[in-house]
Amino acid sequence: MSVNFARLAGVFILVVLVTGFPCESSAQSVQGRVLDENRMPLPGTQIVIPTLNQGTVSDEEGRYFLDHLEPGTYVVEYRFIGYKSEIRTIEMKSEIVVLDVQMVPENVYLDEAVITAEHQKEAMLKRSTQSVTVLRAADLDSKSGLTLGETLKDLPGVTTLSTGPSISKPVIRGLHSQRLVVLNAGVAQEGQQWGGEHAPEIDPFAMARIEVIKGAAGVEHGVGAIGGVIRLDPPDLPTNESISGRLMLSAFSNNRQGAGSLALQGGPKAIRGFGWRLQGSMRRAGDSQTPDWVIGNSAFQEFDGSVSLGIERDSFHLHAYYSHFGTTLGLFKGAHIGNMDDLLAAIERGHPSVKYTFSYEIKAPKQTINHDLVTIESQFRLDSGDWIEAQYGLQSNRREEYDAHCRFCDEPGKKPAFGLSLTTHTLDLKLRQKPRGKFLGVIGLSGMNQTNTNNETGYLIPNFKALTGGIYTRQTWVQGPLTLESGIRYNYRWMEAFPRNSVSSGEFTLQNHTYSSLTAVVGAVWQFSDHWSLASNLGSAWRPPGVNELYNFGVHHGTAQFETGDPTLGGERNYNVDLTLRHVAEHSVAEISVYNNQMNGYIYLHPQVDPVVTIRGTFPAFIYSQTNAVLRGIDGLLSHDFGDRFGMSVVGSMVRGRDTKSNDHLISMPSDRLTLNGYVSLPTGTRIRESEFHVETLLVRKQNRFPTEIELVEPPSGYALLGAGFKGAFFFGPSLIRFSLDINNIANVAYRDYLSRFRYFVDDPGRNISFRLQLPFGRS
Amino acid sequence: MKFHIRTLLVLLFLSFTLNACDSAEPDHDHAGEEELITRVVVTLTSGTETVTANANDPDGDGTGFEIDPIVLSSGTTYSGSITLWDDVNLENITEEIEEEDDEHQFFYTVGGGVSDRVDVSITDRDSNNLPVGLTFDLVVSDGGPASGTLNVVLSHFDDQPKNGSDRSDETDVNVTFTISLQ
Repeated sequence: MSVNFARLAGVFILVVLVTGFPCESSAQSVQGRVLDENRMPLPGTQIVIPTLNQGTVSDEEGRYFLDHLEPGTYVVEYRFIGYKSEIRTIEMKSEIVVLDVQMVPENVYLDEAVITAEHQKEAMLKRSTQSVTVLRAADLDSKSGLTLGETLKDLPGVTTLSTGPSISKPVIRGLHSQRLVVLNAGVAQEGQQWGGEHAPEIDPFAMARIEVIKGAAGVEHGVGAIGGVIRLDPPDLPTNESISGRLMLSAFSNNRQGAGSLALQGGPKAIRGFGWRLQGSMRRAGDSQTPDWVIGNSAFQEFDGSVSLGIERDSFHLHAYYSHFGTTLGLFKGAHIGNMDDLLAAIERGHPSVKYTFSYEIKAPKQTINHDLVTIESQFRLDSGDWIEAQYGLQSNRREEYDAHCRFCDEPGKKPAFGLSLTTHTLDLKLRQKPRGKFLGVIGLSGMNQTNTNNETGYLIPNFKALTGGIYTRQTWVQGPLTLESGIRYNYRWMEAFPRNSVSSGEFTLQNHTYSSLTAVVGAVWQFSDHWSLASNLGSAWRPPGVNELYNFGVHHGTAQFETGDPTLGGERNYNVDLTLRHVAEHSVAEISVYNNQMNGYIYLHPQVDPVVTIRGTFPAFIYSQTNAVLRGIDGLLSHDFGDRFGMSVVGSMVRGRDTKSNDHLISMPSDRLTLNGYVSLPTGTRIRESEFHVETLLVRKQNRFPTEIELVEPPSGYALLGAGFKGAFFFGPSLIRFSLDINNIANVAYRDYLSRFRYFVDDPGRNISFRLQLPFGRS
Repeated sequence: MKFHIRTLLVLLFLSFTLNACDSAEPDHDHAGEEELITRVVVTLTSGTETVTANANDPDGDGTGFEIDPIVLSSGTTYSGSITLWDDVNLENITEEIEEEDDEHQFFYTVGGGVSDRVDVSITDRDSNNLPVGLTFDLVVSDGGPASGTLNVVLSHFDDQPKNGSDRSDETDVNVTFTISLQ
């Protein structure tokens, strides 16, 4: 991704437009506004009349003005990176021609558009008052076949919490799970996020763009947006296009994984504004391997698919999207332990007790997860010029976890140890106001209705039903180089849960909870020079305690912790200040952000003095408790190119977490890390369009800051991983075929990351060679 | 325009009628049952003397966990047996261990003041001729009153091979009884 920024900056002076051509004076002019797909102003759009060699750039409100035009007919071109170029023909007769243009995002199948860095620069410098990182289609393609967590883990401020090779969760600035909001096609993902071993149920293959917003974003994104937001958007639909498609294939050596995705799309001319897409993908992997051991039973397989339909008219959009995610994944057998003594014995041994052999077989312990999403989204323009957006989402999440042996039943893996089924309805309504003077605003309402039920076997969290509502407004004020924003939101949640008072027996008792809160944000972006801007954001977010934090009761496998919930827990609220310095110039791009995240009522597992003694042995006891905590840190990226051929980038992240009540370190904070990346582009011709070598080093420090009384053993040592790769693109007939070959962990280093939950038992995977191929078809 | 607002209203209506039939109320008869061991019974017999000791963890979570003391006579050889019960689901787990005896082994460890006085030797064997421990001999040597402990561990061997002497990383039972010698 960082490489891509460098490349974008590298083509900075692709088009130099002469705006000051001396012409004969005349009063004729063309003017109007350029808007994006959401009818928001698109500042920095280039407006060009090629025949006159004349052009301009739209201002902050998307307005543009071209004068000194002779009467006659002209072709006007509108260009903006990431959007399809629009072409309009105008006839200059009257003095002023008014022409508003709506730009349509470039869809993923198009090659990188002609990039003019001027607006890229503008857009980057002013894009948000918060620290934001965006992965575009090309960045995603270079990571195709990976899980969501793996896809995001090289971004500044983002790390991964993994439970073996098959489960990885994104961690933003030290926070994860219920402290992040994941937006899947515009709908807040509601999956089973009760533990570190529950990963987001989303297929990155289906996505064309991933945006990571770091820090509190509670006003716009509601409950849970404490650590940040991950926004995943599928590609926009084509309109007025014949059928086209794309096949993507990837293969990985370490776990002998194959992954593939096929997408077909079209926009029949017969129905104006109508488009469709069908997409399906699958992944199948065997056991991962460390340099010395096979990680037994870490195989997985996944089948996903999506259908999208949409119609777009000038004042009306309607989209329907359905996606299915289905995975079966094995959990490393060696991490399946009985009690505390077993865990200590495994830690002391330092490696698995069994020399496993490679296999594709997925045995118990395993998880099967199915997630279905249906969403219908509509936007329409009111007569006043404001837009109303409505989005309804229905999600069904079914999770079944199989224990290594359903204690003494005949066939382990046939009957789940527990199964949960979570159904969520969401409805979001937004009034997106048209710009009024220097103001631009949004007013929103959102509601959620959620039901979770256990099936017959087992029990992890109680059945519950929750209703959540929120109302908010956000206003933006733009004046020249300065943008100010502010917003406020009110949240309410009612929940009824049916916990029981012991692991195995005891009556279910109905318990009711209500929570509410107010959150707010103020922010500013100031572009203080052509190449620099400074953004600051003071935001807050809130979340009520999760049902697991209220009612957990039992042993957490793999850590042998006996965890007990506390039904009296209150909500968790944070105040996040974040300061971001951005720089975009001809050869370099930088974004560095520092933050201080004050969390009041931070919910965590508090260790108890006395262990729990059961018939199975002794377990260290933990109770969910609340404290105040501060997370602060710095992260950023810096990329620089030396002309067209060479470039380099640095991405770094550092987080410090402290419990300010006990004045101790927070557990499970990501260790400091730095990624260094360098590339060399080789000359290209008409047939070979891209050819590039790159090398990458990831340096991770040992985490020396941890609470000594909770952590069982010292965190693992720091490590350095070396990677290299080659990627290319060439024309085969009319199709531009892309491929890449990458080697990760070249030296096959044995290492353990502190945020790998299997670090007690086994190393992280070793060397991995991956190959990717991308075949577009049906387009000229 | 009217049409769009109608679409919206339909959506709104749909989302809430769909919800009306959802219920989070658990099925009180079936939901959330978990198989587990809640009670371990050690029975020691010598002639007409029978000593029975229960370790009872009624919910399997340590709440109300009670372990009976074992009182034995000096200079006596007992033949012992152990049974396991799931009192929540009313199941005899012993039978299941008998069926999977090559994947299980009991480990008996004597500690404290009785470590020199009590000796436990397993008498049953699995199909690989390795000890199981559902039955055992317990020999108390001569001497005065003493007290100590008897620790019973049941190891489950799934992937880890059972070799007859090492415990596994999967402990199904770990209970310590107190022993008093008379």
